[in-house]
Formats: sequence, structure tokens, C-alpha cells
Amino acid sequence: MPAERSGRSSGGGATHDNNTMAEFKIHSDSVDVTRIMEQIRERIREKRGTDYTEQQIHELATVKLESVLDPGQVRSGLVEHFRQLDNPGRIEPIPPHGEFAQPPEVFDFDQETIYVSSRGPMGKLIRLIRKLLNPLLKLFFNPTPVVFALSRQAEINAWTVQLLQRQTDLIERVSTQFERVGKKFAVREELDALNYEVLNNLVVEMTRLSVDVKNHKMLVESVAGRLDFSERRSRALESVVQKQSPRPPDATESEGESADASATGSGRTRRRRRRSRRRPGGAANDGTNAARSTAGNGSAEATTAVDASGEAANEVASSGEAITTAAPSDVTTSAAATPSPTSTAPNSAADAAPTDPPPTIAPTSTAAPSPAPTADSTKPSRPDADNGTSEQ
Amino acid sequence: MKLAVVVQRYGADLNGGAELHARYIAEHLARHTQVEVLTTCARDYITWRNELNPGLDIVNDIPVRRFPVSRERDVDDFGQRSTQVFEQRHSVAAELAWLRSEGPTSPALVNHLRRHRANYDYCIFFSFRYYHAYHGLRVTAGRSLLVPTAERDPALGLRIFAGSFRSVRALMYNSYEERALINAVSQNHSVPGVVVGIGSEVPTDPQPNRFRQVTGIAGPVIIYVGRIDENKGCRELFEYFRRYAWIAPTLTLVLIGKPVMPIPEHPQIRHLGFVSDQEKFDAMAAADLLVIPSYYESLSMVTLEAWALGRPVLANGQCDVLAGQCARSNAGLYYDSYEEFAETLHTILSQSALRRALGANGRTYFNTHYTWPVIERKYLTMLDRLERADQRNGGRAEPLPGWLGRRRRDLPPGRELVDQLPTGPASVTRTEEAGES
Repeated sequence: MPAERSGRSSGGGATHDNNTMAEFKIHSDSVDVTRIMEQIRERIREKRGTDYTEQQIHELATVKLESVLDPGQVRSGLVEHFRQLDNPGRIEPIPPHGEFAQPPEVFDFDQETIYVSSRGPMGKLIRLIRKLLNPLLKLFFNPTPVVFALSRQAEINAWTVQLLQRQTDLIERVSTQFERVGKKFAVREELDALNYEVLNNLVVEMTRLSVDVKNHKMLVESVAGRLDFSERRSRALESVVQKQSPRPPDATESEGESADASATGSGRTRRRRRRSRRRPGGAANDGTNAARSTAGNGSAEATTAVDASGEAANEVASSGEAITTAAPSDVTTSAAATPSPTSTAPNSAADAAPTDPPPTIAPTSTAAPSPAPTADSTKPSRPDADNGTSEQ
Repeated sequence: MKLAVVVQRYGADLNGGAELHARYIAEHLARHTQVEVLTTCARDYITWRNELNPGLDIVNDIPVRRFPVSRERDVDDFGQRSTQVFEQRHSVAAELAWLRSEGPTSPALVNHLRRHRANYDYCIFFSFRYYHAYHGLRVTAGRSLLVPTAERDPALGLRIFAGSFRSVRALMYNSYEERALINAVSQNHSVPGVVVGIGSEVPTDPQPNRFRQVTGIAGPVIIYVGRIDENKGCRELFEYFRRYAWIAPTLTLVLIGKPVMPIPEHPQIRHLGFVSDQEKFDAMAAADLLVIPSYYESLSMVTLEAWALGRPVLANGQCDVLAGQCARSNAGLYYDSYEEFAETLHTILSQSALRRALGANGRTYFNTHYTWPVIERKYLTMLDRLERADQRNGGRAEPLPGWLGRRRRDLPPGRELVDQLPTGPASVTRTEEAGES
């Protein structure tokens, strides 16, 4: 191997993407050819880096949805290259084989050939002499079989030349066919490689899109949960505003109810948090189902009597708003509404839904002791208990 | 001072590279000193058949003394001997036999030099690989200069020529790469040498519009000038251009020169055939760049002409000389593959500022190194240097081995030796290059 006097990268091999050629920013006042060549070769190396090898294509195709690649790696000029390949004019011609030399002319040989002379008039005389001396010649050997063999050989030669000519024509036709097929195969191979690449890029894009779709689904669910919470909160606030002006006659009862409501609100807050976690996108009536599932049998009778506005009011109370004197009339506070020891109400902060605000209990609510649980707190709830009245 | 220019063929109508080189040098040195040309009667470099009359002749006011060739070349014999010395282990005798077979075998020319060498102060030999140069150098060793015109071919690896490179008084190289090759093969670092090359006569007012009007070619043009030959890299050029033409439908490749291979039918390839010098320079001036696809060049005159016209060059990077010249002149790019061909071509065509800058650099490079005053000065300076130097310091022919030694088959194949020589452009600093100018 010859030693290199200076570093020089060799090329060849990779497919060149002509449509994405480099635009080298070169200042004309300080042209450095060596530097330009380095830039060009670096650019070529970079382009080769984006080209997938056959093995890489197979690997990527088998990975399917497990990897997400940068879509920027998709070659921008791929389609154009594909179109160019589709043009049959791009086929590199196979150099034609060399011309066959013309076969020598067939030499006709007959019985008279051995006596013929080409010396014109003198030749006739020579031929005559030879004929005359023929008997003498036959004393030494018999020329007849030689003449026969040579004439037969001449016929065979003519036949062979004809046969060879036919075979030559056939070979030329077959060669032409082979060339056409070869060209087609060459183009096909390159198209296959491009198809593999296109397919691979499609798989990659689909993978990326599917992951995007999953992410968007989760985002929509989260937004729906927040929207549900906001709707209930706004309804609760509306109801608070409506009930605030006429004060109920039994202030003590109201205070008790408000205390209960506060206490209940605290409990409800925990239940709401659990509901939000379990059914983030649920409607307003989902609250009842969630309460039924979380409060257990004993508390279910009361919780089913709580409508959506009542729950929202409790939530507002639990969030620290001054509603101690504004207990909604349709809220039925009862011991059954308080957390039961046997209930499956959430008892850990981990159960709180992430979308809910952190529970802050109003000072008045925290002062009120929680009512003792009733003995029937474990009784199954009845449908007729949902009438808005307290069992107490 | 009287000089003898010794070359294998000579004539006003002979356009071979070394022959033209020799004629230009003889005619330009004749303005400063007395020059006589010693050559053969041959016109054909294949057969060396005697076609011109022996004796004294005058060509462009230069006296030319012609000597007959004793035997024409036997192509088969030459081919067999070439295989022997290039591909197999061989002897010095085999190399000498190969040299006789190659020709032009003119013992009369060598005898003239032996008898009349004292009449010449210096003999300038052209083309190291021919009979006249090898034997002429041996009989005029003390007063001989050599213009090797060496390429990376297997003949450079023959043992007999290494002695020639060491025994001359001075070497006038065509390029730094040629000098590096010869230094590596013969270890002749002590022999004075200078990179000279050859000048060119380029018109100052070429008419590119005239070319476009005559040919009707519009749009960008790249041009190739020279023999359209596979050995010149034209097949590769056609292949690359056809691929590139897909993305450059307005680009035209113009070919000027004699075709010795089929030119592909392509709407963007125009072959103009033989043209006059004026038409050639018009075409070169109209072109955006000159492309030189040749793998082997000791010096490309058309490259120098393109640079003289301010046109950039796109050369085959596998030709060390062209790549080195492009790098040193900053007047051209080079390619080793289709990717590089496409990128470099696109870069030059798409960036007019770069194209102009490369062309300007080429013109500057030509004016600095290859105008005739520069070439003449280099020759005269070298002759003056040799005149002042002690002749005993150099220029002795190395003795050949004895009868048995010449027949000992201990020499490696010439190709093997050449393949081991360094490749790539020679590393020459700008200062070093400017110093030689």
C-alpha cells in the first residue's frame, strides 16, 4: 500500500442525495481550497450518516413502536430521488459486448478443386496436365477419399457456420433481454431500498403519532376533570349566593347544621377527592355514586340524599369559605354522612385526586366535634331514604 | 552559451506533451542563447518510423538536427518486455533490452552527442523513459539537464532510470509531485532541481459571447479540452456528468478534442471536435469551469490556460499533480468520487463569488509561476548556477554492473516499486513555492 503524503478521504459507495446539497458559505477574498474540500467531505460524511444501511432498516422495522426517532432525520429529498429513479432514462447502460469477427468465407471443395489453377489461361493448361497425370497420381495414392472427405468437410463447415450464426443471433437476443432484465433489476433494487426507507420512516412517524395520541388522551381526561370540578364549584357558589339573604329561624339548628355541614364537608372533601381520582371525567351525579362507594352502607343513605349543589356547598365550606350561617336547605346533615369507622372513606392523602385543591377546613368547622356514628351505620341504604330528610 | 535540446520527436506540427514542451522551451531559450535541437526522424511515437529527412532542418528559426532510428518498434516484443520488467523480477539486462525495444533507438543520435558533446555547454533532455534520454545522459553526464516529464507509471520504478536521475547536473521538474516521486525513487536529493513547468500563450481578449452565439449554448457550461480517451478519465467523467445532469438540466458539458472512445448520446453533452485556438479560448472563456478527469498528468497545459483565463478548475483528485496544484493555487477543487464530484461542481456553479475568487487565484498563480518570463528566468538561473558551480560536484554517469551483474534477476517489478511510492499532493509551503519563483 502506498504511503499517503497528505490526508485524503476516499469516496464512493453511499447514495448521494443531490437535492440537499450543501451551501458552503465561503468568503471570496480568502479562498482556501483545502478548507473547502474539508467542508465538502465533512458534508458528505454527514449525509452518509443519515442514510440507513440495510441492516439498520431491518432493525428499525422490527423495533416498531418501541422507539421514537427524530422525524427531522427523514430525508427531505427522498421523494424527489424516488421520482428520479422511476425514470427509466436513469438506467445505467450495460456496455455492449465486443463485435464478433466475421466468419471466414466457406471454401467450396469438389472433385475438380485439386486440379484447378488460378493462373488464367496458363491455369487451364496446368489443369489439363494434372488431369492427364491423374492416373499416374493414383499409382501413388488414391485421392478420391481425400476429395470426398474434404468436400464433405466443406459442407459440414458451411452447416456449422450457419448454425453458429443462428446461435449468435440467439445469444444477441438473449443478451438484449438479459440487459433489459438487468437494468430492471438494478432499478428495482434501488427502489426496494428506498421503499424500505419510506416504510421505515412511516413506521417511525406512526409510532410518534400513536404516542402523541396517548398523551393527548391523558391531557383531555385531565382537563375534563378540572372542568367538572370548576362547574360544581361555580354551582355551589351560585347556590350560596341565593341562600345567603333569608336567614333561617332556628339559628341553633342552623349552627348545628352548619357545624355538621362543616364536619360533613370535611368528610365530603375527602370523598370528593377520592371521586375525582376514580372518576375524573364524571358528571355531577357521579358524586352520588362515588359517595355510595366510598361512604359504605351506613353513610350511603345520607349521601344519596345530597344533590350536586349540596356537595358543591360542602366543598366550598371545606375550602374555608364563610358558610357557617348559610347551610343549604337541601343538605341533610346526619351522622350517617360522617365518616364511619367501617366506611371505606379515604384516610390517606395519597387517595386525594391531584386535580382537587388542597382541603382547608374553616376554623368554625374544625371546632365542631364530629357526631358519633350510629349503630345502623352499616345498614344497607334504602332507595326511599333519598328523600332529603335526616334519620335523626 | 550553446544549448542542445534533445527530444524524441520534434516538429511544428507535433503536439505531443513532451515534444510541444521541448519546442516551446527551445524557442524561448533561443531568445537568450544559442540553441540546437537534436532529435530523430520519427513522427509516430508508436512505431518510431523514419518519416522525416535526417540532417539539419530549421523549425521556427531553430536549427534541428535529425538522426535516423535504427529499428522500428515491434509492438509485440515491447509488450512482452514491458510485462517482464513491470510485473516480474528481472535483471538490468532485461531493462536495457526493454529500453531498446521501446525506442526510439537511434545510436546515431547518441554517437553524435558522444562526439560533439564538447560543442554544447549544456544538453537539455526531455522524457527520461526513452532510449535517447538514457543513453544521451550517460554520454553527456557532466553537462546534462533533464526535464523528466515523469508520471506515476511503472517505468519510473526501473533501476536504470534511478541512475539517470542521480547523474544529471540538474532536473527541471514539472511539478512538486513529480519531484517528490523522483526523489523517492532515486534518492537524488543532492541533485539541483527546480519546479518549472511550462508557459502558455493565451489571448488577452477571448470572446465568450462569440462562442455562445456560434454554438447556441445557453446556461452554465463546463468544458473538457483534450483527447477524449478512457485513459484520460473521460469514461468516468461521462458517467458522473450523466448522473449530475439529472439535477442540473441547464448545465452543458462541452468537449473539445479528438475522440478515441465513444461519446455518449446525451442532450447536455456537446462535442465540438477539433477547433481553432481562437475557438478553444472563446469556449474556455465562456465556460464556468474546466474539468480535468485525468488520473495521470505531469503537467496539464490546458489547466494552466484555464487559470490564465481566470477560470476555475475541477480536477480528478486521484491525480496527485492536479490536486496539488489546485490546493497550492487555491484555484480549483478536486474530487475522488461521484459525491465529491457533485458537491464540488455544485459548489463552484452555485456560488459566483467563489467561482470568481478561484478564477482570480488561478490567474494570479499563472502569472506568478507560468508566464514565459518566469519560465525563461528559471532556466537561465539554473544554467547560471551550474555555470558557477564546480562541475566535479556532479554529473557522473553511474557505471553499470558487470556482465554477470547485469544478468542477475534481482530487481523487483517496476510496478511494485512505484506502488510503494508516496501518494497525494506534495506538501509544499507557500513560502517555498514563492522562493522557487
